[in-house]
Amino acid sequence: MKISTFKPTGFKMPDRASYRQFLTMPNIVLACYVAVALAAPLIAHQNPYDPLQVYGWEASLPPGTEGSGGFNYLLGTDGLGRDIASSIMYGLRISLLVSIVSALAAAVIGLTAGVSAAYFGRWVDALIMRVVDLQLSLPTMLVALIAIVTLGPGIDRIILALIIVQWATYARVARSVALSEAGKSYIDAVRTMPLPRIRIIFRHLLPNSIAPAMTLLPIEIGHAVALEATLSFLGLGVPLDQPSLGSTVANGFQYLMTGQYWISLFPGFALFGLIATINFVGEDMRRIWDPRSRSI
Amino acid sequence: MALLSVITGRLSQAFLLIFVMSLVGFIGIHSVGNPVYNVVNIETATPEEIRRATILLGLDQPVWRQYLVFVQNVATGTFGTSYIYHQPAFGLVLDKLSATFELALFAMLVATVLGLGLGVLAGTRPGSPLDRVIVTSSVYALSVPSFWLSMMLILVGAVMTGWFPPGGRGLTANLLGFDWSFLTSDGLRHLVLPVLALAIPNIALIARLARAGTVEVERMEFTRFCVAKGLSRRRILFHHTLPNISLPIVTIVGLQFGGMLAFAVVVESIFAWPGVGKLLIDSIQLLDRPVVMATLTFTAIAFVALNTLVDLVYVVLDPRVRIST
Repeated sequence: MKISTFKPTGFKMPDRASYRQFLTMPNIVLACYVAVALAAPLIAHQNPYDPLQVYGWEASLPPGTEGSGGFNYLLGTDGLGRDIASSIMYGLRISLLVSIVSALAAAVIGLTAGVSAAYFGRWVDALIMRVVDLQLSLPTMLVALIAIVTLGPGIDRIILALIIVQWATYARVARSVALSEAGKSYIDAVRTMPLPRIRIIFRHLLPNSIAPAMTLLPIEIGHAVALEATLSFLGLGVPLDQPSLGSTVANGFQYLMTGQYWISLFPGFALFGLIATINFVGEDMRRIWDPRSRSI
Repeated sequence: MALLSVITGRLSQAFLLIFVMSLVGFIGIHSVGNPVYNVVNIETATPEEIRRATILLGLDQPVWRQYLVFVQNVATGTFGTSYIYHQPAFGLVLDKLSATFELALFAMLVATVLGLGLGVLAGTRPGSPLDRVIVTSSVYALSVPSFWLSMMLILVGAVMTGWFPPGGRGLTANLLGFDWSFLTSDGLRHLVLPVLALAIPNIALIARLARAGTVEVERMEFTRFCVAKGLSRRRILFHHTLPNISLPIVTIVGLQFGGMLAFAVVVESIFAWPGVGKLLIDSIQLLDRPVVMATLTFTAIAFVALNTLVDLVYVVLDPRVRIST
């Protein structure tokens, strides 16, 4: 039996966490969302972005119409004859990909910046935190707009824009935690050892400062989904041939006035459900990992 | 004294913020596209015409000189001339300002009143069914994407029932040199749906804050003392609980109000509300650089001004801030 295995103390499951407590409604729904997104090519009736599989003359059909592809348009078709249900599944892939990748990258960058600011102090700290303050004092939407206009359209660009928008929040949280951790004696202890600074930061300071920032992650993923959808809705986000949920809803806007509600209603419900589910999961996670912030 | 130091500290920060904003925004908007193609007729224009238009717009100059021209234009208060409308850019923004302002103001009023009411209602009965309903529905309200919420409001409120018009400002009346919709009954009808679209997420936000604050304050000794003293519930609520939960709420109201001047972009474009946000999106798509810059600068200034105002309200509301600064 090994006795002295070193484990970072900051980020761990609560001791009495039986895995049953993760079998909550929001978690299950979220898992379904992810499963549908992953399996979209297998379960969707058509690939809505492959013109060969779309019957253009079957445009704007109401839900439940039988299509000539040999399947039922359960949720109707949009103005170009694409199956709404399939569009939702494929759009989900883009929305989830963009938001998860950007939130994770923003977390890594923000954590590193925040912890470095706390460890090095002085001008490094001043520089990083001024940028953070500046950014957080502006509305998120404004920062996102400037970023996406500068970067131009495209999936990689929108991920980059979302990273730019989100990293500052992590940096601020990580810095405040790392500041108090850096004053503790175990950091003094590793400082006396001949270790490179990189190792001290990434192996000791970072793992111990990670917990509060991790509770931010689901909330920020939810924000990212909404922000990406909004930018796509405004025509500044994902390109037309790779629609996300947001741009699918946007496509339905012009048909709303003529009563073809299903084009924007169902993708919107899917999007709304996704964001709500992520927010509920985030709230549960915060309750488990960070009991202090239970009140809000 | 306290007021003065808050103001000077805030102002210097504000100028830095606006300067950096304008610089970043300027470089950003200058790195995309060529606005000349939106000014000349792209099908018939000869290379000579394109060259002359480029010189006319000052686009042949190096970027740093264009920035200096921009700063000069800011100093004279015009922000340059719009490429598309051939009017001073700042004048264009001012024209749209009243529309955005009344939208944000009414939305914030509705959100504050309803949010506070629901929050206090839930906070005084923690754990009750009513509390749980309010907390859960607030998560839903915060999750709904604003563009979809707006579209559903149009679907229900305009297309299906026909109660309210789906877009536009309706009749306006002039007051103090600006056009306002809320002064006419037709304008008021046009206001309802966009105001709801902006207010609903904020009702949830304010309700959550108010609930958390109320739960905390109700637990404190002084509230129990008030109860023991025999004060009525109403008096405890208005004289003791509300003042104690007001600080975070004032903060969020100020922040959200400032955010609305920018975030109303979405709601304004869906309801065809001719405000600053719609102007910004249209100008970005037309590459009308002076108007984009004027709008961005204006939004940043408005945001900073509101933050400063919130800090000042702190000083008035919280005696502790007055002493410590």
